[in-house]
Amino acid sequence: MTSPPPSPMMTVLVRACRLVDAVTAWLGKTISWLILLAILVSAVNAVVRKLFDVSSNSWLELQWVLFAAAFLLCSPWTLRDDEHIRIDIVNAMLRKRARDGIDLFGHIAFLLPFSFVMMITSWPFALASFAIEEQSMNAGGLPQWPAKLLIPLGFTVLFIQGLSELVKRAAIMAGHLEDTRQRAGGHQAAAEAEAERLLAAERERTAHPDTLPSR
Amino acid sequence: MSTTSPSLSPRAVRLSVISLLLLAAVAVALYVLPVPGAGALAEQDGWRGWFGHNMAPIMFAVLVVMLLLGYPVAFALAANGLLFGLIGIELGLFRPDLFQALPERVYGTMNNDVLLAVPFFTFMGLVLERSGMAEDLLDTIGQLFGSIRGGLAYAVIFVGALLAATTGVVAASVISMGLISLPIMLRYGYDRRLASGIIAASGTLAQIIPPSLVLIVMADQLGRSVGDMYEAAFVPGLLLSSLYALYVFVVSMIWPNSAPGLPPEAIAYREPNGARGVWQLGMLALFSGAVAYWVMGRTDVKSGADYVVLLLSVGVTVAFLAATFNRTFGARRLVLQTAVTAVLTAGAAWLAQNGWSTLALIGDSVAAGALYALSVALVERASGRRLISRMAEQATFVMVPPLALIFLVLGTIFIGLATPTEGGAMGAVGALLLAAMKKRLSLDMVRQATYSTAKLAAFVLFILIGARVFSLTFYGVNGHVWVEELMVSLPGGQMGFLIAVSVMVFLLAFFLDFFELAFIVIPLLAPAADRLGIDLVWFGIILAVNMQTSFMHPPFGFSLFFLRSVAPKLPYIDRVTKKETAPVLTSQIYWGAVPFVVIQLVMVALVIAFPQMVMHYKSAAVKLDDKQIEEQFQGLGNSLDDDMPPLEFK
Repeated sequence: MTSPPPSPMMTVLVRACRLVDAVTAWLGKTISWLILLAILVSAVNAVVRKLFDVSSNSWLELQWVLFAAAFLLCSPWTLRDDEHIRIDIVNAMLRKRARDGIDLFGHIAFLLPFSFVMMITSWPFALASFAIEEQSMNAGGLPQWPAKLLIPLGFTVLFIQGLSELVKRAAIMAGHLEDTRQRAGGHQAAAEAEAERLLAAERERTAHPDTLPSR
Repeated sequence: MSTTSPSLSPRAVRLSVISLLLLAAVAVALYVLPVPGAGALAEQDGWRGWFGHNMAPIMFAVLVVMLLLGYPVAFALAANGLLFGLIGIELGLFRPDLFQALPERVYGTMNNDVLLAVPFFTFMGLVLERSGMAEDLLDTIGQLFGSIRGGLAYAVIFVGALLAATTGVVAASVISMGLISLPIMLRYGYDRRLASGIIAASGTLAQIIPPSLVLIVMADQLGRSVGDMYEAAFVPGLLLSSLYALYVFVVSMIWPNSAPGLPPEAIAYREPNGARGVWQLGMLALFSGAVAYWVMGRTDVKSGADYVVLLLSVGVTVAFLAATFNRTFGARRLVLQTAVTAVLTAGAAWLAQNGWSTLALIGDSVAAGALYALSVALVERASGRRLISRMAEQATFVMVPPLALIFLVLGTIFIGLATPTEGGAMGAVGALLLAAMKKRLSLDMVRQATYSTAKLAAFVLFILIGARVFSLTFYGVNGHVWVEELMVSLPGGQMGFLIAVSVMVFLLAFFLDFFELAFIVIPLLAPAADRLGIDLVWFGIILAVNMQTSFMHPPFGFSLFFLRSVAPKLPYIDRVTKKETAPVLTSQIYWGAVPFVVIQLVMVALVIAFPQMVMHYKSAAVKLDDKQIEEQFQGLGNSLDDDMPPLEFK
């Protein structure tokens, strides 16, 4: 598919990236359902509290633990889909090669050091909490260590995904891999997809004029 | 930067040069201004001393460069914090274990009840968007206003405000309105700039009318309660919608051809005799309004946002019941209608007699609806005239779902029944039920909404985490004191500060998104505002109205971008007139937005000039029970107080 024959090393690396990407996306998609669960917990808790005056701190704490798990473990997936928000004003005017260069530089200088520092500081942080089976500060709350354990887990996955992004970007720049996303830019890409979806729905609707009283 | 240079386009070169020059100017200005307290940090001589002394300005300047590179903001922010943390450790400004504080700060971000409202409201908005509520509203309200001059534009503003009060998501409103209303406006000869401007602007109302995501994030960063923020934003939000409408009115009076009324044949929903049936709707609205006013007069809610929301809810309930009774019984089943009315009226009277005052209010509203339906049925029997027209029925039914949700979310928050987080969760469940009732609920739809919510939550919370890594270092070198002194020393006291900040935020909004503004800029400004004695809720609303422009600035405003993606780009054959219609040019979209950016600035000035517009939040009766107060306090402490790192300087 590309002009220079890929070295065997590169092929192996790119294959490993595919595996990492698949696992990360699967993890993110699975974990994202916890948000729906948090919504149900919060709504039921609110109603029950009003009607029967029954509640406990563990229900309140469960909501934010669920949400924290969702955003920490969905972040690598968001990275994979390039939906972390950027300031596009200069970037959008550059050629593809320059944008690739910025991404490569950013992965090496920004993302990987950050997730690495978070990883090495938060593992001891969480393990210390686990060792003493740290409990909630609120009466009747949940233990704290599972929530604290989410931090190193999230950043470890983020670090691994960051490595995958780095390899993929390098492979793209070397011509060993085709870039599936022509234009980076989370918000705009999402908006475009959304607009297309709505357009399709509208066309389908207008294909049966009798469902439309106004037109 | 060397990685970026090989293939720069001329425009990019010019832009980079301009931004670098600006940066240099800022850096020089910053160097001239002293950094208070930094002297104590760095007692060394030479460049090390100089560097330590001016670390805050340098850090800020480097941050601007790093952000402009266009790498994801969250990681650029964090990397900036880490880089200068390392430099600080090297210079002896920080203890070597500085970064040990990081996990605790991330934990503080997780452990935050206020921000939990962000995914809840996002999910609610996404489900609503896919349930087709916007389409129904636009169809019906467009029919209602369509025949008057500028009518479709008013309909767009009205629907924009209603959608804003239910979803808080800009993209959804703009895209639906661009798909549904824009083609109709073009068909009947609306000015393209006016049409696209009004759609882009009305969509951004979701930013200021509660429950908006901006206000949640703002409340978190300013350390105020979300409920107060919502109460305070309500009146400015309504006023802003009225200003948009006023603009349409003025334009349509001066240039009648820019916003013509629709011809009669474009209006559906007619009576059998061809009448439009609008006066019947007016009568129903008048009656429901009067009942709502009477019912509300017996409660202790007298003014403010709560009053408006509750009044609307009661009014729509009455109208809904009247229309429903009319449809089920009507003139055909007059006896049944009479019996039901009698039972309901007796029930309401009994409740009032026996001291169930709250239930009696509901009973009265129900009975009033039944009574109206009964009168309508009697008139129809006697004279054959239908007092509830198709238009009246349709308008009532289509208004019920959004109003019910607004009550469920805003009403319960305003009267203190629920916290904003709970309101968001109940709203999300309500949106799911609504979608189910419309038979639009499917696993695929819920899955899409969940995935989108999770990704949005991930990038928002990671910007916040990045900002807190940045602030660990920045506050450690007294950067916040530096910014505070810089801001407080502006001439003109409170007014001078507010005007300077407004101008600055307006300019920053050209290239920053509101999440970035909220997480990076606002924490730096809030302490200065507080020290000048500015009410932080008022301050937040001023900023929120201002930040709305970030959606409308050409060429990077997202609202314009969304509209561009759905507006016709090529000439097309109109479905109804069969004539070729010209496309909407990008320049027309850009120019159309300009008047609304100006209106936005007028609104900023109005909020600054008339703080009482916002301050009513203080007088609003807050009836929180102890648990909620406790919860609110938990959310409060997070943002401002513990941004001070627990450090000792060597």
